[in-house]
Amino acid sequence: MNNLNGFKATFRFDYNVFIAANTTQAHQHLVENPDISIILCDQRMPDKTGVQFFEEIRTEYPDPIRMLITGYTDIESVIDAINRGHIFRYIKKPWTDADIKSAIEEANKFFLTNSMLVIKKQELGKAYEDLDKFAYSVTHDMRGPLLSVQGAIDVARTMTNIDEIKEILEMMDKSVHKLDDFIKNIHEYYNLKRGQLSFTEIDFNRIIKDLEDIFQISGRVNNVRFITNLIQGGGFKSDETSIKIILNNLLSNAFKYQRRSAEDKFVELDIDVNNERALISVADNGIGIHQNYIDNIFVMFFRATSEESGSGFGLYNVKDALIRLGGTIEVASTPNEGTKFIVNIPGK
Amino acid sequence: MAQKLHFIVIDDSKLDCFIAEKVIRNTGKSESIKSFLLATNALELIKATPAESDSHTIVLVDIQMPIMNGFEFVEAFETLPKEIRDHYTLYIISSSINENDLKRVHTYPSVKKFLNKPLTSNTLSTLLG
Repeated sequence: MNNLNGFKATFRFDYNVFIAANTTQAHQHLVENPDISIILCDQRMPDKTGVQFFEEIRTEYPDPIRMLITGYTDIESVIDAINRGHIFRYIKKPWTDADIKSAIEEANKFFLTNSMLVIKKQELGKAYEDLDKFAYSVTHDMRGPLLSVQGAIDVARTMTNIDEIKEILEMMDKSVHKLDDFIKNIHEYYNLKRGQLSFTEIDFNRIIKDLEDIFQISGRVNNVRFITNLIQGGGFKSDETSIKIILNNLLSNAFKYQRRSAEDKFVELDIDVNNERALISVADNGIGIHQNYIDNIFVMFFRATSEESGSGFGLYNVKDALIRLGGTIEVASTPNEGTKFIVNIPGK
Repeated sequence: MAQKLHFIVIDDSKLDCFIAEKVIRNTGKSESIKSFLLATNALELIKATPAESDSHTIVLVDIQMPIMNGFEFVEAFETLPKEIRDHYTLYIISSSINENDLKRVHTYPSVKKFLNKPLTSNTLSTLLG
């Protein structure tokens, strides 16, 4: 017990130390503290040997690095345990503070490398999953519009009526645009996944001006009013590329999914900024999203409607950008009445 | 096959529906052509149509579509009574070159064949004999 208290006193400034006089107490610590990274155990414990204890906990708690403290007399069983992989290393008695310290540093490096490996493996799994989905969608989302155009050319060859030809050209044009949109979305996706965030002062006045230039044209064509409001209550730092991806996608959806027959079509963008956060709301009175599909709208390649062309990429990219910025998004929607997205982005 | 055929085209791409309509009309063998951007609407129509003894309908259905995809449509179709099903021949038409999609097409007894997009007069003529 004196040894234990001495140990804790020596190392409590460098590490968070738990002590246990028997293996039952040690087990209890493991249960209560799932982030324990290193276990040091004396070979001669009152109830069992250190090797036995490590063998027991190994399956249930594989992550902590196990180190045995022992005298020369036990060396045979220790070597065996090390060779069977139960123990990272052993510290021989009597130990010095420096021995323990260097052993802990080594063990901690090993622990961190292992943990990193687990995280990397998960990331890799996710990347493969995305790649699979991606490869599948490429045939549909890239090949689809191309084959449509090919089919249209074939049909147009038999046409003699100029109005009919113009009609089919119009459709081919849309198909080509759809393909182009998809490719642009892929570009955004990779920018988000691989690009570094760069935090600068965001000038929302300029961003809104740019958005008005883009969307007022398409708004005029389809008779959709574009309303913008900005309350700038202080400077706001964030990654401009991500902010633009979020705004562009939400607005282009709002303009796209309008009800053709509606009287007063509008899209309203409200931005309320202070040093702490930016609150962005994008509202429309368009076709809305059915309750059954609303949970899936941020899933890659999910599409909730066959009205208008969509890649199933836009909202996925929005969500991805928000995850990277530590922001949130909420959606409220009623079919045939409209949709409202509320985005909250913390400032840097 | 002296009798004229009815056609149902199900595809979320307006252009592909348009192409299919043109190609079908050009064969001169169609009594009627109905296009659907949503498979659910086509299914409703099939359910609601009384089984007339001498009419036959060819259904061309795309695979990847929002809300109800081509496979889901076929599965729903196969739960309909035989008296209704007998009046339809299903073809899956897709841009997919995914092997799993192709294999899956063959697991449905009611699907006669997989057709590659785009639909051409040649493919359709061969099909109609």
